[in-house]
Amino acid sequence: MQNNNALVKKSINFVEYAGGLTILLLRTVGWIFIPPFKRKPLVEQMSKTGVDSFSIVFLTAFFTGIVLALQTAYTMKQMSAEIYIASLVSLSMTRELGPVLTALVVAARVGASITAEVGTMNVTEQIDALETLATNPVKYLVVPRFLALTLMLPLLTVYADFIGILGGFLVGFSKLHIAPHLYLKKTFDALAMKDVYTGLIKAMVFAGIISIVACYEGMRTKGGAEGVGRSTTLSVVISCILVITFDCLFTALFYFVLRG
Amino acid sequence: MIAIKELHKSFGGQPVLRGTTLQIKKGETLVIIGRSGCGKSVLLKHIIGILQPDRGTITVDGQNVSALKGKDLVKLRMKFGMLFQGAALFDSLSVYENVGFALLEHTRLSQEEIRGRVAQSLESVDLAHIEEKKPAELSGGMKKRVGLARAICNNPQIILYDEPTTGLDPIMADMINDLIVRLHKQLKVTSVVVTHDMKSAYKVGTRIAMLYEGVIIAQGTPDEIRNSPDPIVQQFISGAAHGPITDKRQNGAVSYE
Repeated sequence: MQNNNALVKKSINFVEYAGGLTILLLRTVGWIFIPPFKRKPLVEQMSKTGVDSFSIVFLTAFFTGIVLALQTAYTMKQMSAEIYIASLVSLSMTRELGPVLTALVVAARVGASITAEVGTMNVTEQIDALETLATNPVKYLVVPRFLALTLMLPLLTVYADFIGILGGFLVGFSKLHIAPHLYLKKTFDALAMKDVYTGLIKAMVFAGIISIVACYEGMRTKGGAEGVGRSTTLSVVISCILVITFDCLFTALFYFVLRG
Repeated sequence: MIAIKELHKSFGGQPVLRGTTLQIKKGETLVIIGRSGCGKSVLLKHIIGILQPDRGTITVDGQNVSALKGKDLVKLRMKFGMLFQGAALFDSLSVYENVGFALLEHTRLSQEEIRGRVAQSLESVDLAHIEEKKPAELSGGMKKRVGLARAICNNPQIILYDEPTTGLDPIMADMINDLIVRLHKQLKVTSVVVTHDMKSAYKVGTRIAMLYEGVIIAQGTPDEIRNSPDPIVQQFISGAAHGPITDKRQNGAVSYE
């Protein structure tokens, strides 16, 4: 009986949370089209969320490309098929690892920072102050972060794709002695337009997830510094779980709809 | 005029306001006193429409605050200025951007005009030439005064003060009290001050109301409150550790803290 009650309570909390996220998403999309439209906060957020993430995305994608090439080389060598490493790295990066790894890195770096900032604003009554100054907190805080991330995460993903391919190329060229022009030819032969744009669609969805979860957690933060810490952790954990879940859903969707 | 009628508000099943009824006349400075956590700030946030009541109404100049939406709510809020307990300055913005926030966001005034208004507001609270500083560079007293400058920058008709002297040294607290009195005279505004600092209450208030267990149990001029026969009011204003308020708590009565 007690187990049932706990289950019912957890289910209600889950529905409440999912509902809260959906309402915030709808309100954010609604506020995008309501004036005034200000460029400065959007540019600031694009710089904070996007430009400042380039170095960490570089490191993640570069090493992933290297590891991917080295690990597959181990198997491919046995079949004398090292040349296929180029296609494997490029397809894995563009379709899967580029968008997912970039989203996870951004969820940890940017999502955490958004929740900590908005959460601190909440516990120090700055969000209440916004309302008393006749300013809607969703318009002022959530919209620029949502838009900035939706624009910057696909860009970061394309960047990660290239850097990952570069990592694989360096391994292929220096360690496996594959001719550079051959490696590049195999890389681009294997890629179709849909490999890139399905990755970008995923990146846009992940950007929405990260920004909305981060702002939602920030706006419901309670209880001072401890509360901010708790919300920040929750924001990163929930974003990562949702990114991986939606990645699985979208991969399945693209597989069945686009046939591959 | 602000009229609060039978206001009820609970948080997580815990009642905070239990039928609060209060009238605030135009041009007066009403001080709401009561123990920490008794719902004074909650009442203030209802007046400006940040919180929605479970039951009851708040009308400001005949408009029902909780029924207002969109542009009407923006218009109403532009009538108010509010000073928060911790000043609630926006950390990422400079003093200029904080004080001129409402003007920068909601008016088409030129930068020059806004700079002038910001400088004037800062002068009113005895601060000058700190426009480019960030809130982190200011002391507690300065933050409160910048918060006050922000509250008065868009020429409000009503100013709400949430614990204006809390966390300040006695001299700075008295300076803030003087400022509230001066601004009240200069700007001819209606002021609502929430505090548990009786020295401040007597100094700034033209009328005092006491909130206890979610209802207003006494109201009158500072002298009337000082001489109130109500033992609850007397215990609170004298700050005695023993009396009806603490006895009731010890006997297991409902508390809101």
